[in-house]
Amino acid sequence: MADRKALLPRGIEFVCCAVACALGLNTAAALADEGHEFFEKQVRPILVARCYQCHSGAKTSGGLSLETRAGWQRGGDSGAAVVPGKPDESPLIEAINYRSLEMPPSDKGGKLSDAEIVALTTWVTRGAPDPREEQQRIAGMSLEEAKAWWAFQPLPEFHGPASASTVDQFIDAQLHDAGVTANPAADRRTLILRATYDLTGLPPTAAEVRAFVADNSPDAYERLIERLLSSPQYGVRWGRHWLDVVRYADTAGENTDRPLPHAWRYRNWVFDAFNRDLPYDEFVRMQLAGDILLATADPQQRREGIIATGYLAIARRFGHDIDKDIHLTHEDAIDNLSKTFLGLTGGCARCHDHKYDPITSADYYALYGILDSTRLSFPGCEPKGQPRDLVPLLTESEHAELAAPWKAAVAKRDAARQARAAADKVRFKQATEGSLRVLASSLVAEGQSVLLTSSDSANLRVQLRKGDVLQLTVSPNANHGADSTVVDWTIEAANSTTGGSGHRWSVTELVGDLTRANPLPVAHEATWCFLDVTDGAALLDEKQEVVSGHAELHAWRLGELPSAFVNSAAQPVDAWTELPGHSFFVHPGPNRPVAVAWICPYDGDFRISGRVADAHPSGLDGVSFELVHCANPDYSAALLELGQSPVEPIVDPGQEPLMPVAFAAVDSQPHDVPIHERGDPEKPGELVPRRFLAVFGGQLVNADGGSGRAQLAEWILEQPIAARVMVNRIWQGHFGRGLVRSMNDFGSRGEQPTHRELLDWLSARFVASDYSLKETHRLIMHSAAYQRSSSRDPATLTADPENRLLARFERRRLSAEELRDSLLVASGDLDTQPAEAHPFPPEASWNFTQHTPFNAVYETNKRSAFLMVQRQRRHPFLAQFDGADPNASTPRRETTTVPTQALYFMNDPFFHQQAERVAARLADASTDRDRVSRLYVELLQREPSDAERQRAIVFLEKYPGERAAAWAGLARVVLASNEFLHVD
Amino acid sequence: MSQVPNKHKNSAWQATVCDCGRRGFLRSAVAGSMLFPALVRQLLAEDGRDKLGHEPHFPTRAKQVIFLFMTGGVSHVDTFDPKPALTRDHGREIKADHPEIKDRPGYEKIFLKRPQWDFAPHGDCGTQVSTLFPHVADCVDDLALIRSMHTSHSNHYNATLGMHTGSFAFSRPSIGSWLSYGLGSLNRNLPDFVVIAPHQTYAGTQVYASDFLPGPHQGTLVVPGAEPIANVAPRVPRSRQEHELAALEETNEAHAAQHEFDPLLTARLKSFETAFGMQMAVPDAFDLSREDDATMSSYGLARGQTTGFGWQCLVSRRLVERGVRFVELIDTGSSNNWDAHGDMLTHEPLARNVDQPIAALLKDLKQRGMLDETLVVWTTEFGRTPFNNSADAKGREHHPWAFSSWLAGAGVKRGITYGETDEHGMRAVVDPVHVHDFHATILRLMGFDHERLTYRHAGRDYRLTDVHGRVVQGVLA
Repeated sequence: MADRKALLPRGIEFVCCAVACALGLNTAAALADEGHEFFEKQVRPILVARCYQCHSGAKTSGGLSLETRAGWQRGGDSGAAVVPGKPDESPLIEAINYRSLEMPPSDKGGKLSDAEIVALTTWVTRGAPDPREEQQRIAGMSLEEAKAWWAFQPLPEFHGPASASTVDQFIDAQLHDAGVTANPAADRRTLILRATYDLTGLPPTAAEVRAFVADNSPDAYERLIERLLSSPQYGVRWGRHWLDVVRYADTAGENTDRPLPHAWRYRNWVFDAFNRDLPYDEFVRMQLAGDILLATADPQQRREGIIATGYLAIARRFGHDIDKDIHLTHEDAIDNLSKTFLGLTGGCARCHDHKYDPITSADYYALYGILDSTRLSFPGCEPKGQPRDLVPLLTESEHAELAAPWKAAVAKRDAARQARAAADKVRFKQATEGSLRVLASSLVAEGQSVLLTSSDSANLRVQLRKGDVLQLTVSPNANHGADSTVVDWTIEAANSTTGGSGHRWSVTELVGDLTRANPLPVAHEATWCFLDVTDGAALLDEKQEVVSGHAELHAWRLGELPSAFVNSAAQPVDAWTELPGHSFFVHPGPNRPVAVAWICPYDGDFRISGRVADAHPSGLDGVSFELVHCANPDYSAALLELGQSPVEPIVDPGQEPLMPVAFAAVDSQPHDVPIHERGDPEKPGELVPRRFLAVFGGQLVNADGGSGRAQLAEWILEQPIAARVMVNRIWQGHFGRGLVRSMNDFGSRGEQPTHRELLDWLSARFVASDYSLKETHRLIMHSAAYQRSSSRDPATLTADPENRLLARFERRRLSAEELRDSLLVASGDLDTQPAEAHPFPPEASWNFTQHTPFNAVYETNKRSAFLMVQRQRRHPFLAQFDGADPNASTPRRETTTVPTQALYFMNDPFFHQQAERVAARLADASTDRDRVSRLYVELLQREPSDAERQRAIVFLEKYPGERAAAWAGLARVVLASNEFLHVD
Repeated sequence: MSQVPNKHKNSAWQATVCDCGRRGFLRSAVAGSMLFPALVRQLLAEDGRDKLGHEPHFPTRAKQVIFLFMTGGVSHVDTFDPKPALTRDHGREIKADHPEIKDRPGYEKIFLKRPQWDFAPHGDCGTQVSTLFPHVADCVDDLALIRSMHTSHSNHYNATLGMHTGSFAFSRPSIGSWLSYGLGSLNRNLPDFVVIAPHQTYAGTQVYASDFLPGPHQGTLVVPGAEPIANVAPRVPRSRQEHELAALEETNEAHAAQHEFDPLLTARLKSFETAFGMQMAVPDAFDLSREDDATMSSYGLARGQTTGFGWQCLVSRRLVERGVRFVELIDTGSSNNWDAHGDMLTHEPLARNVDQPIAALLKDLKQRGMLDETLVVWTTEFGRTPFNNSADAKGREHHPWAFSSWLAGAGVKRGITYGETDEHGMRAVVDPVHVHDFHATILRLMGFDHERLTYRHAGRDYRLTDVHGRVVQGVLA
């Protein structure tokens, strides 16, 4: 644990001390006062007015700075600009006389006046006295500036209990000074809506609103806040804020945009961390170094520590071979790390020192070394195949323990299978011996489709007796891979003596029904059987309703193969190959033929037609088939009996429990890296030791400190800016704007805080409360400022149009996630249980290239924070409603209002579906008036006014369509209304 | 925020007046009286777009752009950059420190490979074009052909991103978004930046993303077919939708009136009006039924056809007529495109797919007088190597060192070629034009100084050309 009382920015003191030593005594002080006076009166004004434009600060034309004595001593590209006492040898004097260079040039005001030239010449003749000391600089700031920079200052001492009224004191003081009157408190319905959306991202139920509005007890509001803070939905809402900042995504972002199937563990860890109010310092440590800090903790904590480093691992990957562009990934990480935890734009120092803030290029490569000494899980990329370096979450023995029940189940299944198969085969042999007649057989070559019938007739016609069996066997050829085979087989009764004529049976008709039974009784008392006929006949008796993650595919199988399966969807399914829609398939196993048998229901003539086709043309050698007629009724009896025999059902042991892994970070070989000159990794410069930013002390990574991530976390937390940045994010989550409005930039290009003392006080309080987020929420939400109405008083608007003084609460539109979740709440379809992994295609099937990158949108009724977010292709809904940018830190959601959003509310299928469900949910109301009331109460958590009710009734009556459509229409009107979409 | 001052208040008022007639479906009495003044106050913010754009830095004639992007890397030496020496030296072994062959097994030796199509001079200017583009060749007197293009990356992903955003690694605003941002809107019923593409190209949606520029500058994707823009087809009969929208407006107006006409709320009211307009304007823009037979056949289109590059070209003209600022047409997607590693002959169907439609577009624009105000850009992400690892290899590899692009229309010199590659088409040697220069030139043609069209984001001013770019004066008329 860090020493939380050590809030002094030790770094700054350290640097000041070092600089003071380096500069030694101020030799300038020895110069005569007289000379300085001459400089101040005669020379400095000329330099400032005529030279500084091009020769001061960052601008040093020709390499020359005239801002300090050292500047002209060092001079420009052509050496020292001034030789004291010798104007004739001083290039500066040459230039102002237009003898060599012509300075100042004509486009900068032209030649100096004669008097000015005389003054400068006299100054040089007198020895060029110049009191201007060079300021020690750290990149974009002088040391003095950095030392005084508000955001780096120590936090104030914090004493005594915290109270929300203190928050108000700071705000009220500024309102008072500005003569602005604050809004009164919001009404109670507004308050519960505001607080509920704010803490959970969901609307309150109508009952919750009613109860709160009616609750006059003094602690009603407090109980509300406590209830919301303890809701598991709180973590989803506030965790999502964090995911915005750390640019979370479920894909890697390189040229093929590969899925990150394990990233969800980090996402869920963040949600969980918020829910249990994990102290922020721990939260930071875990994300930067959880793997190191909890390496020897108990298994649960150790897993957590690994998962948390997902923060580092989800850095964006670039290019074709991502290892070649790892410097861009590190830039992405440094940029995010410095913005997220320090509110500084550190990524700017990759190619050069930061122009405005005290971050040098060496600082950048000091952090780069820490990251480069860390091994991130590898997401795969086009030239380098599949993911690797995923971090196991269990030890080998833990995993063996986990897998033991599965292994036992597999053994049991195999034993049962063996026992049964042996018995079945005997019966089959007895029944079929001598009674088989081959009707047709053929090779089906690679990619071919072969008719069942011989070439001279369209149909095969056979005479059968009741109980006869037709059996179509498909066998593998030499190569048994890729043998998915389409069977399209139809049998028609042509001319029957005992049954009906024109009856028809087809395997294709089984697509919706396959897994009902095996043997599978069908119309007109016929029966289908699906068999392994390797050595006899055994029923395929393992039912599988979802094949390879595809719910449209259903199968019977015996072990892995053989199998008979169907694609029940009308559309093709892209599984191991593209399987056509509405089709029946068999798949023989290695040397294990598969058969479909049909048991004839009555005597008669039957026509057989159909085809066998290779459905996976890449196995090179195709398959063979054979269609036989078995005229021995003992065989069909044996098959039917097999189906009924009371053998112990074979239990599917399910998927082998794989080693759970995280997309995470671990230390690799620690090493320092050189500066990349101008950001080019091919141009290594000076080696930089791994250390923290110089402005904060530049502490070095210990020799035994590994990559240095654990120390980095502590160094960050020692800086008061870390608490300030996080408190500001919390504030922004409540008010829509931070106290510092540039949330990711507390540097010199960022904005100054609107209420600095308040930010400091809250930050100190945050640290003192053991970095509790929930405590901070309480302080903020109990303030009067948070509970004000959002009405827009004209006088206040004029005085403070941007609401910097917080005289009112700022109305806001629902975020993309809140909108979608609210629509699902309205329809009653929202599933608030956390989601886990996305239904990505199995890793083994990935063949993504830059030509065919991964691309998917997964529908779910879970909360929108669980939607799969891609880097290369924005999720269409989230992109439309200003969702977070998965490629860059999004500290605050912007709100755009564009017509394509209106089109969503007019015509989007999902929106229409929710409205229709809302209407259907209310169908049981007794009267229209009652139903209108219910609609308002359910969607807006309030009763309609009389006028609204009346308007709704008129709307329904005049609706140009039937009543059910009118109700859906009315639901759309309410769901599209501004009241539904905004939080007051 | 922008560094460019905003001075066109008057024209906004005019635009407002013109749009009043569209309020036909909004019958509420409130709309006419109480709400209207409140809405007027919001017109500048309105649907989030800055209707007014920014005052151009230069006087300009180009107001709109049609950007034709050929995906996969078109071979320059087989299309617009004749290299007789390459034919002469076919099969000669050469050495090159080329990014595509570095450390690549099988590429230890490379040999020059001759073009597979003949070149001939065309038009009054006599510019040589290969037989792959017979129709475009017919238009050379209107083109400024740049034969000295080069780029910074040899991967599709990076080069495609670079050609669109000026960034070869990171997502940044697309050139279309920059121009939408810079120029403002001419038609409130249509987006300012439309991308018509049958498939996603490399780098996905990033190539037309607004990134940190405000959302309204995002490219709107049109996929050729029956419903070109998502959710633009009414899902309920028109009479019902109007009934619902009237009720919605009434509801929202009453709500806004109780909430001091908060701009956040009134802007959204306005957006429904625009969306309703889009529902009509979009199908109208895509409805080719009133195009005459001669026009249809010039683009190679059959009646009722809603796909193909001819359809894309004709629709682009119609969108430009209706005021869309930037229309990008992408010919294919990230596969089955110009990426002819295997066989250069695959260039033939791809060229045939675009050649006649492009020529038809140029002639159509010219005949209607639209070419005077419209800039047409034809480009790709990189060229293809004039060599391969054997003299009889059929394909060519990625070649960032040189490729050809052309400009036509407003503000562009006519019938010229600019820049040259060396005798084998390996490197741009005379007046090389980098992608950043190409961007700077396009912005210049639209009236902007590429160094001054900036946007403040994350503490610094960003521009399309990053810290690079030089206007190619030689192509400016």
